[in-house]
Amino acid sequence: MTPYLAIALTSLLAYLVAVKRLGRRPADLPRALARVADSLGAGLIFTVVNLAAAGALVLGLRALTGRFFTLYSLDDVVWLVVSLLQGWIWRLWREAPPRLNSS
Amino acid sequence: MIVRALGVAALALFFLGAFTPLPAHLYATLAVPARVGPADAIVVLAGGGVLGDGQLSDTSRRRTAVGIDLYRDGLAPLLVLSGATRPGSESTARATLAGTCGVPGEAILAVAAGHTTHEEVATLGARLRARGVRRVLLVTDGSHMRRAARLFEVARFEVLPAPVPADDDPTQPGERILLLHETLREGLALLYYEVAGYL
Repeated sequence: MTPYLAIALTSLLAYLVAVKRLGRRPADLPRALARVADSLGAGLIFTVVNLAAAGALVLGLRALTGRFFTLYSLDDVVWLVVSLLQGWIWRLWREAPPRLNSS
Repeated sequence: MIVRALGVAALALFFLGAFTPLPAHLYATLAVPARVGPADAIVVLAGGGVLGDGQLSDTSRRRTAVGIDLYRDGLAPLLVLSGATRPGSESTARATLAGTCGVPGEAILAVAAGHTTHEEVATLGARLRARGVRRVLLVTDGSHMRRAARLFEVARFEVLPAPVPADDDPTQPGERILLLHETLREGLALLYYEVAGYL
């Protein structure tokens, strides 16, 4: 459990730096956690949609070409991380202020 | 709000998976207990094929080793070594390993049996029936056993499960997440086989 003790200590340190040095309010912390949950939720949606789309693509290619394409190609941790990144980027983009219309 | 709830659920699943015995409990619902006894044939399912250098993958080697042990224990007169249909024959490499371990050539049936578990059981089933085999000692990974055994049962074989021993109660968070991943993946595969009408 040593790595997790280290994570607890660095989290405490980061909290103290944020509050004491950077002037952040502890009351804002739950809002930050909620934004993390929002990004993860969006990532989860991308993951499920990607899984369904890739599965359909594999089965479709099998049917169309008569060749074998394995569903195990979907079993890849990098693909999961990229899906979560998609969700994160999507969330940040949505939170950005809308472009002003000059006309 | 729904997106946030999904995020909280994902976080909860991650932490429950990493720091509680949840993965072991889920795996236990999926796994089939071993029931080893005399049979007409020992059937070792394909697992990962061969590597670039022609050596068996780790999964394939472990499954083959269990099959060889069962044969040496005198539980069946026939050792069926399956393999995926692809370049670099897994079944041939397995037969070579079994021969090296003292299994006589006439007791080995090496079959390149298809790309998927469904194709594999269809191919093996025909070959086994032709030899009068009714009762099989089935060797595969614990997570894969339920799906594979049900396919053989649908093909009207009596199945004695002999899962490859695995760490089904890990204590390290990373190992727990891997077990959770394996369990969820096999759960999806079972669902797919049900929907496809294979089971």
